[in-house]
Amino acid sequence: MTSLRALRFCGPPEPWRRRKLPGAFAAWLVVAGSAFAQGLPSEPVSIAGGRVVLGGEAAVSVAPPDPGYFNYTDYEHNTLREIRLGLTASVRASSRLAFLGEVRTENFNRVSPFALYARVRPFPARRLDIQIGRIPPTFGAFTRRAYGHDNPLIGYPLAYQYLTSLRADAVPASADELLRMRARGWQPSYSIGNPAPAPGLPLVTAFNWDTGVQVSTGWRAIDVTGAVTNGSASNPRVSDDNAGKQIAVRAAITPVTGLVVGSSFARGQFLSRRVLSIVNSGHDDRFVQRAHGVDLEYSRDHWLVRADAVLSQWRLPEFSSPPTHGTLTAFAGSVEGRYTFLPGAYAAARLEHLTFDRVAGPTLTATWDAPVSRVEVGGGYYLQRNVVARLSYQHNTRSGGRITRDGLMAAQLLYWF
Amino acid sequence: MRLLIAMSLVTVTLTAAQAPAPTGTLRGRVDVRRVVASAERRPGVADLATAGPRDLSDTRRAVVYLDTAPRGAFEEREPARLRMDQRNETFVPHTLAVTAGTTVDFPNNDGTYHNVFSLSKTKRFDLGRYARGHSKSVRFDRPGIVRVFCDIHSHMNAFVLVFGHRYFALTDTDGSYRIDNIPPGTYAVAAWHEGGVRDTRTLAIPSQGGVVEQDFVVR
Repeated sequence: MTSLRALRFCGPPEPWRRRKLPGAFAAWLVVAGSAFAQGLPSEPVSIAGGRVVLGGEAAVSVAPPDPGYFNYTDYEHNTLREIRLGLTASVRASSRLAFLGEVRTENFNRVSPFALYARVRPFPARRLDIQIGRIPPTFGAFTRRAYGHDNPLIGYPLAYQYLTSLRADAVPASADELLRMRARGWQPSYSIGNPAPAPGLPLVTAFNWDTGVQVSTGWRAIDVTGAVTNGSASNPRVSDDNAGKQIAVRAAITPVTGLVVGSSFARGQFLSRRVLSIVNSGHDDRFVQRAHGVDLEYSRDHWLVRADAVLSQWRLPEFSSPPTHGTLTAFAGSVEGRYTFLPGAYAAARLEHLTFDRVAGPTLTATWDAPVSRVEVGGGYYLQRNVVARLSYQHNTRSGGRITRDGLMAAQLLYWF
Repeated sequence: MRLLIAMSLVTVTLTAAQAPAPTGTLRGRVDVRRVVASAERRPGVADLATAGPRDLSDTRRAVVYLDTAPRGAFEEREPARLRMDQRNETFVPHTLAVTAGTTVDFPNNDGTYHNVFSLSKTKRFDLGRYARGHSKSVRFDRPGIVRVFCDIHSHMNAFVLVFGHRYFALTDTDGSYRIDNIPPGTYAVAAWHEGGVRDTRTLAIPSQGGVVEQDFVVR
């Protein structure tokens, strides 16, 4: 009789498999990822018999400089060049009450409470939840999908990230002044309100959560959520700065497994108290942001396809001639897809366009901000279940500004538990 | 008379040749004292509502197997077909022990998609997303451990242990196990539980066969 090994238990259960990826940096990512994730938790940390659960995410993204400011966020950070750390926690007090929160830091600048709220389910057997505090966005689907592993690419959709030239704390006195700020959403400045340059507003932000009360319910394949919050879709706030509230509603239907169609609406006063005081209106319900959104997700086998459209309208006060046209409109649409072509390896692409309505100035009639198109293609390779190395190439074109086109190669290492 | 004696001898010889060789049975109990909690969902901070109820994985089961086995055991390959359900966001059973060459079906019994995959060295696969009532299968050809996950529900995980021989057993709900038809010899026997070998023993199956009792403690 000869003894032979039946089953070898050597090495980690999910081994590192190293393959050649384009570029030395990708190779570095794989090696660094291997070292990085070893010894770190691979599943959420459960304490007190599951009453307290901790999760986390760490993302390191590198890319060349983005002189056109195509990827800057309202935190003045470039989404392609940042280190983002997040820690999430849920504390289940009872079957009816839980507390959830998240703290984040970007580039170690500061640690901020991204989310902090109580979730109440008054009737545990019924689909009725009330969330109070700094709550998840009601509008759209991407805003709640902004976590790295839910986003197949490194960049973010224009509708939820790209900074327009509008601000909440400063407004242009005329259409001419507005048009001068085209393609300068990273730091526009206006004569009314806060004169200091500061970042503009995206259509809907995915980087800041609003504060208020949210109610969700559902019946069979339909889910409905409504919320009353302090800020607006483009400018969520912890504390109210204009005595106006936002009302947001979302309805989603899942007609068949794998298909989700959602529709969202939000309406909220977005100008700050400082601007409103100049308009002689401490509380003026006219100067609101209205956002309408439609989103779709379909997945099957190894495919995932998403489409998203956002129409946003901001109403501005009119000070001098020519006026700023009263209501400024922006529209963003995107289509993205992901295909898993090998276990642990996928390719993804997103096409999108952001455009604005036209405003007539003294010498120029043009869109009030410069339209932007973006194509991003990339892929990811899972070094282990919760560590993915990604590469993507993003091409931006803009009909205005100092830099009208830019191609950016980015790499990212993402870990979560 | 000589012919009769000769025929008798031939008969006895043939009978002796056809008689099965004595084999033994290994049985006992695995006392799992370590507590392995079922994986938790990630904190659903971005969710709009409380997640629905789910089942918890049965993490009490262990696998007892011969770490060394007779040479011929590795050549016995009986094609088998087993099943690992996806039910209430849980793989059932949580641990499956199979021989190499076995095909495992992964039917989806939930109202949501699941996406079964593994990045294990032994078997790397991704079954994609499929709905309730559909099933996809994987053939496990190489011995080793395969960790199985769902790409959509991160708390869903399971083990498939693929053996090169048939001398293994998954414990019952009370921890008992039984491995039959083991040829006489001295073997290293291992008790595996939730990702690793927790206890090993060396024991002998006597030449005349019989039952050998061996208990294990998993701490």
